[in-house]
Amino acid sequence: MDLAPVIEGFGVVLEPANLLHCLLGVVIGMLVGVLPGLGPAATIAILLPLTFNVEPVTAIIMLAGIFYGAQYGGTITSVLLRLPGEASSVVTVFDGHALARQGRAGTALGIAAIGSFVGGTASIVALSVLAPLIAGFALDFGPPEYTALALLGILLVATVSNGGRVKALIAACAGLLLATVGRDAFTGTERFTFDLLPLSDGLDFVPIAMGLFGLGEILHNLEQRQRGATTAARVANAWPSRGDLRQSAGAIGRGSVLGFALGVLPGGGATLSSLAAYAVEKRRSKSPERFGHGAVEGVAAPETANNAAATSSFIPLLTLGIPANATMAMIFGALLVQGVTPGPQLVDEDPELFWGVVNSMYLGNVLLLIMSVPLVGLFVKILRVRPTVLAPITVLITLLGVYTVRNSVFDIALVIVFGVLGYLMKKYGFEPGPLVLAFVLGSLLETSLRRSLLLFGGDPAGFFTRPISGTLLVLLAVVALFPLVQRLVRARSR
Amino acid sequence: MTSKSPARRRVLPPVLAAVLSLPLAACGGNLSSGGAEFPSGPVTMLVGQAPGGSTDLIGRALADGAANDLGVAMPVVNTPGANGALAANELAGAQPDGQHVLVLNASLTSITPLAVAPEEAVDINDFEVITGVSQDDYVLVANTASGLRSVPDLTRAGRDLKFATTGVGTGSQLAQELLFEQAGIAGTAVPFDGGSPAMTAVLGDQVDVAAIQLGEAIGQIEAGRLTPIATFAAQRSRYLPDTPTAVEQGYDVRVSQFRAIVAPKGTPPERVERLRKAFQATFAAERYRKFNEDNLLTPHEVDGAQVAQEWTSSLERYRAMTQQYGIDLGGPK
Repeated sequence: MDLAPVIEGFGVVLEPANLLHCLLGVVIGMLVGVLPGLGPAATIAILLPLTFNVEPVTAIIMLAGIFYGAQYGGTITSVLLRLPGEASSVVTVFDGHALARQGRAGTALGIAAIGSFVGGTASIVALSVLAPLIAGFALDFGPPEYTALALLGILLVATVSNGGRVKALIAACAGLLLATVGRDAFTGTERFTFDLLPLSDGLDFVPIAMGLFGLGEILHNLEQRQRGATTAARVANAWPSRGDLRQSAGAIGRGSVLGFALGVLPGGGATLSSLAAYAVEKRRSKSPERFGHGAVEGVAAPETANNAAATSSFIPLLTLGIPANATMAMIFGALLVQGVTPGPQLVDEDPELFWGVVNSMYLGNVLLLIMSVPLVGLFVKILRVRPTVLAPITVLITLLGVYTVRNSVFDIALVIVFGVLGYLMKKYGFEPGPLVLAFVLGSLLETSLRRSLLLFGGDPAGFFTRPISGTLLVLLAVVALFPLVQRLVRARSR
Repeated sequence: MTSKSPARRRVLPPVLAAVLSLPLAACGGNLSSGGAEFPSGPVTMLVGQAPGGSTDLIGRALADGAANDLGVAMPVVNTPGANGALAANELAGAQPDGQHVLVLNASLTSITPLAVAPEEAVDINDFEVITGVSQDDYVLVANTASGLRSVPDLTRAGRDLKFATTGVGTGSQLAQELLFEQAGIAGTAVPFDGGSPAMTAVLGDQVDVAAIQLGEAIGQIEAGRLTPIATFAAQRSRYLPDTPTAVEQGYDVRVSQFRAIVAPKGTPPERVERLRKAFQATFAAERYRKFNEDNLLTPHEVDGAQVAQEWTSSLERYRAMTQQYGIDLGGPK
């Protein structure tokens, strides 16, 4: 590998204009992450006109900063207010918010920041070395492979919940059912829309997650306080201890690898990777019962993975010219406006742009870590605000955040509906996690499966004619059947 | 068109958008509250697609220029949903005072009605059309490695070809269905969620061909990874001068994406005219012309009456053709 352009890329990063825009990007990104609902894609759309007057590399450095900066910020609301702003920080809620309730919000935020930094940085190094090799591999993932991945993901959903297995499965089934709402993507038939036009594209992830987790939580807490139970968190340390770090080191390492690998896949990589990382940690743990009640690994793993995935999702864009998600599509558009066409020829034709953007991410991650440290203390202070004040403000932020996603009053009504549902679920011991994750994976599963069957002319055996989907499905069968076989063998030997 | 949920005037503009657009809006907004003066404040531009798509980018480029000419801010508000029908309903319910406009896709009024229930169909004649905007061509592409280079190649393939579409009831689906029917090629439509996934499926060899917008495909065509087989406009695109149209090759397939700016029915004619002037000033600007070049768009800046006539006749033509060839846009083949 020729190192000269890489080193020149660092030169590009150190130009004052680029330094400034990198800082600007990550600050905006962090704020966007903190505001639930408003995602990086919409922010970039609003800010796009500001980038027309600067150099292409400067513009993309800033836009990239917004994207990975938002991954840092998204954690903050997940931990403190139980409001996941992005699909990729849903799993962080389980242990992150539990830690906050125990007065260890600082620990959770600190671990998340460190994990995010390590995951992001490791991912940049891997991107620099492996990008061209991996690019070819990403194209091998078609509908059949996604079908197998989504199935694997839904199997993992069963392991992330903390309530009873049966209740988790019921919630997951409800999630799968909700995923079918909307105009059928293959026939145009309306399903469960009750003639409401806003439902024709199906339900959106944001109102569901924010209703179930955010509003549901608030309603439930209000009821608890009526009965005199206290939920106010004591704020102790504002930084993870050495023991916490030791405990999460493995999770951070594994999360980096998983996040990088899954982030390369077009569509949904960050969500899948955070879910997979959490499930892996829970599986490996000697004391899985701690998960959901404030296990630091449960924060470290998904937060590391989603940042690693955010970074590696640049690979398909910069090496194949394929945007992997909505935010990447925006950056793709910004490049086109600047007269740069992302594609296989970009590294050779415009090495300054390629390596300038890639290397700027190192700087951005350092800036985010530096910003996170003092801010952790500040954010934790939020928890000292009396619940009677904090609850209405949180509700307001939630409703406002949801409204900004699609400028839709209908979505506000949806949040309220799901808020009530979330409250009822909590009251009767159902976890919202499996429902939300099954909802996200359900639409992926349905569309991929039906697309695959169209490709195979209706023959399900086609899945096993493709190496990747075949391997994944065999693996899935082994994982699913292993406990059964184990039980049978034990029964025989008795 | 029945509007089931009466769209209310926005009383709660997205806070962040407002804050961020302050520096942009500082181009001399004379906010007088006189009822007779037009425009009497910001003109809202609705976009029925998510931020970042081509419709959104076109809307933003136009709003940018028209705001300068009108002397008021023109915030772009995205209300994605139902292929743009949500935003169309919202506009239909807005005050017909010229303070609300919408970027409308022709496919919503001339193709989507063939795939959805009659009460959901959007009719171009329910709006005051301010001006036509531009034409966005579809191109049929195959993976270069597949060796498929022309329509006869497809006919000779001798197997059921899988073609990726950008969704049910889109121009991408209609163009390919019509071509395959007329050329007698056996094919199966595989709907994807937009142009980028459809293109990825061709690059990854999961499908044989796809019809996608020129702007999305051009990078991969230039990189030599996709072969353009045909374009679906009436004339060859000046951005792909060597690729023949389907019409040239003997098939009557003319499907392009057109866009227009519309206002609610009943907007006073002098205000429609004032808005049209503002957009015409934008059309003439060097910056906007470069935007069209960058995004491979062909200007089609005709007046409102012609837009309504063209779009209505497209709908009639497509309806007749789908019936003639027995094509059902909704529903598996």
